[in-house]
Amino acid sequence: MGRRKRVQANVAGEAPARPRATAWQQYRALLAKDVRIELRTREMLVSMGVYAVLVLTVYGATLSQTGNSLDILNVASGLLWAMIVFTSLLGLNRSFANESADGCLEGVLLAPVSRPALFLAKATSNFLFMTAVEVVAVPLFFLFFLAGADVSSTAIWIVLPLLAGTIGMAGIGTFMATMTMDTRGKDVLLAILLIPVVFPLLYACVAATSTALLGVVGQEAVFWRSLALAVGYDVIVIAAAFGLYEFVVGS
Amino acid sequence: MTKTSSDAMGTRRRLPWETIAIVAVILGCALTTVDFLWAFLRAPMVAGARLEEPALIGGTVVTTKMLFSQKIFYFHVPVAIVSFAFVIVAAVYAVLFLARRSERYDVRCRLCMQVGLIFIIATMISGDLWTRHDWGVWWVWEPRLTTYFILTLLVIAYFILRAAIDDPERRARFSAVFAIIAAIDAPISFMITRLIPSSIHPVVLRSDSGLSPDMLIPFLCGIFGMALVGFGIYRLRLRIEEQAAEVEQLKREFEQTVA
Repeated sequence: MGRRKRVQANVAGEAPARPRATAWQQYRALLAKDVRIELRTREMLVSMGVYAVLVLTVYGATLSQTGNSLDILNVASGLLWAMIVFTSLLGLNRSFANESADGCLEGVLLAPVSRPALFLAKATSNFLFMTAVEVVAVPLFFLFFLAGADVSSTAIWIVLPLLAGTIGMAGIGTFMATMTMDTRGKDVLLAILLIPVVFPLLYACVAATSTALLGVVGQEAVFWRSLALAVGYDVIVIAAAFGLYEFVVGS
Repeated sequence: MTKTSSDAMGTRRRLPWETIAIVAVILGCALTTVDFLWAFLRAPMVAGARLEEPALIGGTVVTTKMLFSQKIFYFHVPVAIVSFAFVIVAAVYAVLFLARRSERYDVRCRLCMQVGLIFIIATMISGDLWTRHDWGVWWVWEPRLTTYFILTLLVIAYFILRAAIDDPERRARFSAVFAIIAAIDAPISFMITRLIPSSIHPVVLRSDSGLSPDMLIPFLCGIFGMALVGFGIYRLRLRIEEQAAEVEQLKREFEQTVA
């Protein structure tokens, strides 16, 4: 049924002599749609931001009894990435709530939109929102937990693993969230599907972040190898998601 | 008369797979038993760490500690290899499903995953016994163990994903996509002990293993035996699924004729 509808839409689309939008134009239109919705409702940004702060609050309570005996620098990168993973999961679930409400995604699919453009637009918007939250949450994390610690001067290098990790999470996360969009218990299901798949990326990013916080000097090999692993994972997984996306949105 | 002959034809056409499946299970069990007995009764002990001073064991002076725990090799490794094989075959059926969109490949993919999960659980349990005995811990986040644990989670997630979708067509499509993603981990887990030499998990399969026939024969018996058992279970499960589908089809036809 869906196929016939799309064929009709195609025929109708060809009737006026207007040239078909290129994939790049489709990508920009879809991305602009997501950004505009977000700027008007601020649903994702607010819920993700508040959630990140709540995770930090939980950290504050759970670490409150350790006193000075805990070397926070050694566990900081793990805590930071735990916060990012859970916040991203929340955001990814929310990002498709808009799509399934009022049949938005169906409407987009009825138009002759190229599937890769759709995937990339959605992944880019998720990446942008996740980055926006990280820009606030990561400095907060430093303020709350690393203010008194002896952070290495190379700490700014964590931007690189953060970037690689967020790109990967947004890419594969968008793919998985499309699959779990209309399922029962979708919030839990997304976590169940995404966390095992994203494990290698998480591992590499934690290693790189930890090296950056403790000092890259003398550990360059570890840092760059971890970062290369993360980037390699991004490339492979996003290529796979890119290729398989048309099976996920239905055909 | 003609009816019975056509019935016989029908059963004969289906007969080989059933017989093969049952033969495979019996033969597989026999080979696995041979593996089991041979491993404990005939295969030589493997020398482990050097002892601090020579000791008299069973009338002979030995300078190295003999590893009884190495016997796990004859069970753990074949089970693990068969589990990898089933996950890969499941992914092949998933690709076939996405290419041809026939329900039969979806059923086969799911059944391969089911049999694979049995072998994965067996691998986890047997591996954990070794870990506790030889490494002294129940679990360690070591590359091989970690990647295999991820594979376990992915296969379990495959079934949770299936349970969460009602529409059969969409369920088949999504689970096929996920089966392909899950299978990417199988070769990684298999290769990781070679890629990361610092891994404490031994590299087991290699051409220069230097296994004596007394060790190689039970090992190969184990691999083929367990593969045959897995294949037999898979085939018998497939027959049940096909017959259930046939019964459903007949019921529907019957209801239509009555109505």
